[in-house]
Amino acid sequence: MIFFEPFQLPFMARALAELVVLGALAGTVGVLVLLRRLAFVSDTLTHTVFPGVVIGHLMAGDGGVFWGALAAGVVTAVLLTLLTARRRVSEDAALAVLLTTLFAAGVVLVSRQTGFTSDLTAFLFGRVLTVTEEQLAQTAVVTVLVVALLAVLRRPLLLRAFDPVGARAAGVRVGLLDLVVNVAVALVVVAAVKAVGTILVIALLVVPAAAARSLSERLVVIVPLAALLGAAAGWLGLVASYEASIGYGLRLASGATVVLVLVGLYGLAHAAAFARRRAGLGRARRRTAPDDLDVLEAA
Amino acid sequence: MSERAPTLVIDRASVAYGDVPVLEELDGVVHEGEAVALIGPNGAGKSTLIKALLGLVPVVRGRIEVLGTTPAQARRDVAYVPQADTLDPDFPVSVEQVVMMGRYRRIGWLRRPSAADRAEVAGALERVGLAARARDRFGTLSGGQRQRVLLARAIAAGPRMLLLDEPFNGVDAVSQHALLEAIGSLKEQGASVVVSTHDLAIAHLACDEVCLLNRHQFGFGPTGDVLTPERLRATYGGHALELRGDRVIVTQT
Repeated sequence: MIFFEPFQLPFMARALAELVVLGALAGTVGVLVLLRRLAFVSDTLTHTVFPGVVIGHLMAGDGGVFWGALAAGVVTAVLLTLLTARRRVSEDAALAVLLTTLFAAGVVLVSRQTGFTSDLTAFLFGRVLTVTEEQLAQTAVVTVLVVALLAVLRRPLLLRAFDPVGARAAGVRVGLLDLVVNVAVALVVVAAVKAVGTILVIALLVVPAAAARSLSERLVVIVPLAALLGAAAGWLGLVASYEASIGYGLRLASGATVVLVLVGLYGLAHAAAFARRRAGLGRARRRTAPDDLDVLEAA
Repeated sequence: MSERAPTLVIDRASVAYGDVPVLEELDGVVHEGEAVALIGPNGAGKSTLIKALLGLVPVVRGRIEVLGTTPAQARRDVAYVPQADTLDPDFPVSVEQVVMMGRYRRIGWLRRPSAADRAEVAGALERVGLAARARDRFGTLSGGQRQRVLLARAIAAGPRMLLLDEPFNGVDAVSQHALLEAIGSLKEQGASVVVSTHDLAIAHLACDEVCLLNRHQFGFGPTGDVLTPERLRATYGGHALELRGDRVIVTQT
């Protein structure tokens, strides 16, 4: 069975665990990104974590990547919270400046290394097949931490997303809450560095939640569904890239394959939502038709 | 009414965003069970005054006292009703969930809503006449119905003071009636109500007092005394016309 057989290899089993956990984490946090319309802020975070990855790698090799990313993620989450706290017309431009500046700084740093294109590719797009048990444990810890944080804060988070002034009026410390959200997004990026790299993680943060939203109007369904779709895309993407390379000699980058599978699932979700709406409309029409006749007869 | 306890005391208060003064030298008192209408043109500072009563905009001079304490400390007993059309209609949240938000302060972060919380939510929806829509998504309701849901959220919080920001804007007659009824019953229970509106007829109908605002205060007192053609003309700066001596229409809000 091609969906299970590859994972008897230890490195494939580790890659699978990493992608499934990461997909579920990013799907969950992604619902918040969707509700708060933070896609661009999240994209900025994916780029500002990058120089941290490079510096961590320069200082301590592969083991330093996580800690460098973590430091950069937390620092830029604080910066972003301060930057977006004031509603200014130029907020978009400010984010774009921050994004490109830090990203360019990362590229400059990594380009000083010999053999830098290989490192650069790994940092940007991930290298999930070389995931170690230590990195797997880091991803698991980040996941438990972030999901627990969001579960505890779910009510103020929901109120703030729905009605920001109402939240402040109800005594919610909105600034602090926004910092928590930005740090949560940054932590997802940090957890994703090894598996899909800093660039592609934006897809994991945005696409599963959007697909789940098109299938349901209820958050109790949307959150687990987004997590499930993220995890499923991780699994299917890994299987697809493995089969392509073993069975057909096609080398597909696994991180990018996961993203493409995710987009495929998104398309399916929209098709399903569309079909359901049409069926619903048909039912509604059939329901209203006799009423109209009744009205005519009564007249 | 003056034997009732004062719930809102404004004493030579000025309100500012940073260095920019928005409202200057306001004065007035509101008692338990009274409703006051904030009336003035767009940009007059009505919303800012409501935010100041919530402690979200600072009082830079003078004093505002809500329920015997500072606005920020009084928040626990104050409920705020935003304008429904400022909220995202695509948000995946049910009518019931929105009203439950009014209970969050009592429920806390972790506890599940109790039977009493659910009963309060159901009762609040009943009072605005939307019990049958509890399970529908908030955004599928009409503007007026959404406004009623937000009032139900405030009722569920069990407030001693209710602040409503333009609740009658673009609201159909049925919803307007339901809103007025619910506000009236809250007043009977002793809550004070502050409501900003463009609608002088509603001020007459629902409010005991009126505060005329346009950066400064152009009057504060019993509705009949304050809503005079002269004062309205002063507040609206010439955009008010007199009709048959005692009635006024505002030509530009």
